[in-house]
Amino acid sequence: MADSNKNLKRSSAEREGTQDYKRMKTNGDGDAMDAKPNPYLAHLDEDFSSPLDDFERHKTTALQASKAEDSDNNPWTGRPHSQQYFKILKTRRDLPVQKQRQEFLDAYHSTQILVFVGETGSGKTTQIPQYVLYDELPHQTGKLIACTQPRRVAAMSVAQRVADELDVNLGEEVGYSIRFENRTGPKTLLKYMTDGQLLREAMHDHDMSRYGCIILDEAHERTLATDILMALLKQIAERRKDLKIIVMSATLDAQKFQTYFFEAPLLAVPGRTHPVEIFYTPEPERDYVEAAVRTVLQIHASEPEGDVLLFLTGEEEIEDACRRISLEVDDMIRESDAGPMTVYPLYGTLPPHQQQRIFDKAPDALRKGGRPGRKCIVATNIAETSLTIDGIVYVVDPGFSKQKIYNPRTRVESLLVSPISKASAQQRAGRAGRTRPGKCFRLYTENAFKKELIEQTYPEILRSNLANTVLELKKLGVEDLVHFDLMDPPAPETMMRALEELNYLACLDDDGELTTLGGMASEFPLDPALAVMLISAPEFYCSNEILSITSLLSVPQIWVRPNNARKRADEMKQQFAHPDGDHLTLLNAYHAYKGAEQSGEDVKKWCHEHFLSFRHLSSADNVRAQLKRIMETHGIELVSTPFQNKEYYTNIRRALLAGFFMQVAMRESANSKVYKTVKDDQLVMIHPGTVVTSPYDWVVYNEFVLTTKQYVRTVTNIRPEWLLEIAPNYYDVDTFEKGEIKSALTRITEKIRRRQAMKGGR
Amino acid sequence: MNPLKPPPPNGPHSKDEESSSSEEEDYMTMTFSDSPSTHPSSSSTTNPQKNPTHANKNETSLQRRLRLRREAEARARPKSKAELAAEADARREAALSQSLFTAQPKSKGLAMMARMGFTGGALGKQQPPPQQEENPQGRGGGGEGGEGGLGEGKKESGSGGGGGARTEPIRIEMRDGRSGIGLESERKRKLREAAEAAGERAKRAKADEGEYRERMRREREEARWERQFVAGQKVAERMAGERDEAAGEHDGKGVVSRPLSGIPVVWRGLVKAREEAERDRRMRYDLEQGLARLPTYEDDEEDEDDKQALGKATTTYVTAEDLDEEDPELEEFSALPADEKLQKVVEHLREEHHYCFWCKFTYPDEKMEGCPGLTEEDHD
Repeated sequence: MADSNKNLKRSSAEREGTQDYKRMKTNGDGDAMDAKPNPYLAHLDEDFSSPLDDFERHKTTALQASKAEDSDNNPWTGRPHSQQYFKILKTRRDLPVQKQRQEFLDAYHSTQILVFVGETGSGKTTQIPQYVLYDELPHQTGKLIACTQPRRVAAMSVAQRVADELDVNLGEEVGYSIRFENRTGPKTLLKYMTDGQLLREAMHDHDMSRYGCIILDEAHERTLATDILMALLKQIAERRKDLKIIVMSATLDAQKFQTYFFEAPLLAVPGRTHPVEIFYTPEPERDYVEAAVRTVLQIHASEPEGDVLLFLTGEEEIEDACRRISLEVDDMIRESDAGPMTVYPLYGTLPPHQQQRIFDKAPDALRKGGRPGRKCIVATNIAETSLTIDGIVYVVDPGFSKQKIYNPRTRVESLLVSPISKASAQQRAGRAGRTRPGKCFRLYTENAFKKELIEQTYPEILRSNLANTVLELKKLGVEDLVHFDLMDPPAPETMMRALEELNYLACLDDDGELTTLGGMASEFPLDPALAVMLISAPEFYCSNEILSITSLLSVPQIWVRPNNARKRADEMKQQFAHPDGDHLTLLNAYHAYKGAEQSGEDVKKWCHEHFLSFRHLSSADNVRAQLKRIMETHGIELVSTPFQNKEYYTNIRRALLAGFFMQVAMRESANSKVYKTVKDDQLVMIHPGTVVTSPYDWVVYNEFVLTTKQYVRTVTNIRPEWLLEIAPNYYDVDTFEKGEIKSALTRITEKIRRRQAMKGGR
Repeated sequence: MNPLKPPPPNGPHSKDEESSSSEEEDYMTMTFSDSPSTHPSSSSTTNPQKNPTHANKNETSLQRRLRLRREAEARARPKSKAELAAEADARREAALSQSLFTAQPKSKGLAMMARMGFTGGALGKQQPPPQQEENPQGRGGGGEGGEGGLGEGKKESGSGGGGGARTEPIRIEMRDGRSGIGLESERKRKLREAAEAAGERAKRAKADEGEYRERMRREREEARWERQFVAGQKVAERMAGERDEAAGEHDGKGVVSRPLSGIPVVWRGLVKAREEAERDRRMRYDLEQGLARLPTYEDDEEDEDDKQALGKATTTYVTAEDLDEEDPELEEFSALPADEKLQKVVEHLREEHHYCFWCKFTYPDEKMEGCPGLTEEDHD
């Protein structure tokens, strides 16, 4: 909602701008105006003449392009340029990358694959695709330019920015495509997209034939999808000699990319950076949060003007630190006449308008001639590369970040607080030198930096469950997964686990070939377990409900639990609680939300009152619509058991197992709170966020996480008989190791047999 | 079934008989007939063969009931949080440290990989490239890059057949609390160093038996020197006193009172120690007597009666006036090794009194004729 409002505002502002322009023009020279084509009808008039007509593809120069950019009419639309356009153009011309435009074009013309290194702030993400646009001339060839981004937010905001820079409407010449949202049109020439989205497109277009040039941005982040795209593009580049590839990275380890891409040429653009002085602590810290807060306060007390950026690991820690710093600063102002300091948190799940606040100006001195104010941003590692915040002079780096980790041996996938890499530490320090020489305070010893930190962060592919990836690769036509040429191949056991899981889910047959179910599952932008659950839901007469649950599981937690109102939030959650578990509770909340919406209530207010996240619920709604469309195209029926039927919830619980039968835990003993995961034999507790109060003997869980303890989160009560019935392959008693679970399953098998015998005898 | 305990030779028997019959074999383990009490926890159903006595047919119904009750209690007892955490950690570590290829050699996933040509080692581009020769460097780079990416991870041994690609999953490192980077290793390092230092000391002590003897000998010798030195000091004091008496110098009150600094350094220490001890003793005594609350001193205006009345007739004493002053000369002297101090006192006696400490004889003149020499050895 907030986003669309903003867009609305922006477009109206643009309209005003055009009107001003028109008025000015009319006032100055009325006749000339009449001769020009009506800008509002430009989209009807495809045959406008443009300076681009004289361009020859792959032979353009920087001079030609800047002339075209300087012309009064937009070379892409034929409409006159707005004033705002020229204003932006002026700032664009100051970007470091602009100086090397010709150099870039020369390099681009000379090679099929180019590695481009530009530090954050060089302008590479917005400018390079435009340089390519003026050289590729996609409106003539019909081959698009794609630029991938690891994050959805980046794809959206960069596309908006570039549309502004080109003076076109977002969704027309410049568009974006992210999971569950596509804003492109028939006129689209330049497309920003998440790397995962390009991968999904490639499933149906193995040669990526729609594209003339593919730009992989932020390749240094080494996301799972980028790694796979690189391996695919390496293959495609051999088949399609006309496809150009640019790999863009913000760090200087570009040599690895060069060697991987057949010794591709490298072009580097220096960013605007100032020297950063680095300080280490003499002794290791006992409590890094405490030390971080102390350091920030010390900076505030004794360092000259300049904003502070503190890196911490997660929401809770960040909010805690923000609170402590604010309190201490108030004391400092009272007691020692310190300047004011505003503290802003920054993390991924923060609503966008709150994220925007970090760009606010630092507060002024409290009185004239008083000590200057500053702002302090407490951020996760999103502030490491993807965001550019000006004015930061001091960086405080405790050396940790939350990193996803997956281990196939216990099948635990978790976000764990882990030490960062040397490369990350360098990146963080660099944030201090954006506007002027800065200082970086590392809360560890120099020795620890040298000895304890790894060189590079592990690429995501080494830290992920590969079930989804393997399914995608199969769909992409990669037969030999073992020798697939990845930059950093994962551990063989991870591959084995993925293949095995897909086999149990019946997505791959015993020969490793994609089954019909597998093919269908790969069409869903979901994890295989979720996709299989969704596809099999009609068999349990509850595909509508499972569709809702799947959507709710695909968005961040919908429950809001603010620190100052935990108790009330929990009470509200209890209103939706279903005694049989968290999945059903989610569904109840969603139904209540839809009910409120239909009865014409103010849903935003309703959500606020019920401690639900409106943002995440509406995005779940959006996801649901998308998934529904995919289901309809594949002829998956949308059915429900009547709510009055006593089997309504039972059917849903059974349907959950169709996808999640591998994520089941059994209670260890009668009065214990400890559960044991089947097959992997790990001891887990039910996450305290659950609504389940009376303990059940068997539960299905959505995720197995590791914090200080091992937890299963989002659990629902099931009956063990269902396991034998729904997933007989996985629950083949003979394959179990001797133990409590095996004996329990044996007992149940016996019981079923007896019951059937009785029925037969009757 | 039970190798430790052969079946009893004759039929069913009472408790006492059973324990006595097994005595020969088992007396070390203290097996009593109601042994469930000694190890109830291990008697769970999972490993009955470990405690065969429980499943024994010879068990009486009473015993059996007792055992079952105890077993149930053990099972029902909720485990403490620490126990649970330890158990969960142990399970996790066990699972994490075992390769899936050994844990599940029959996995279908592995079979699929084998069909794709997996023979162990790492994944990734085939190392010996028979069919693609256009760019050997690029290929090598892939592997090399892999190595760079995995970095010099302190704990990873990523290398394997695949030329730098990893063969093992990344280990899960749990962190408790908010300890900073390097704290753990610093702690470990300190522990290790302390252990090493202790080990070294123990080794050194053990290493040389001769050294021990040497040390013991030296210590005894030093103690002896110290004793002789004190004896020498006493002789010196006595002789000095005798000489003063002979010279007619008399202190009217019969109390030694003269500045310590006037005493030769060789035996000044003796006097000082005695005076200090004496003062302390008197002060304590006075305090206990309770009459004079504070140490009293000579007051010229008081006569005997006053003293009597004030209860300090007998308590007058005079300490050397510089008793509490610092005495660098004495300190320096006291810091000398015992044998040197002894030698000094011997020399002092010879010079001042023509007395040989070793001959125990005062010679008439400074030539000291008949004395074999300065040292003890000379007098052997």
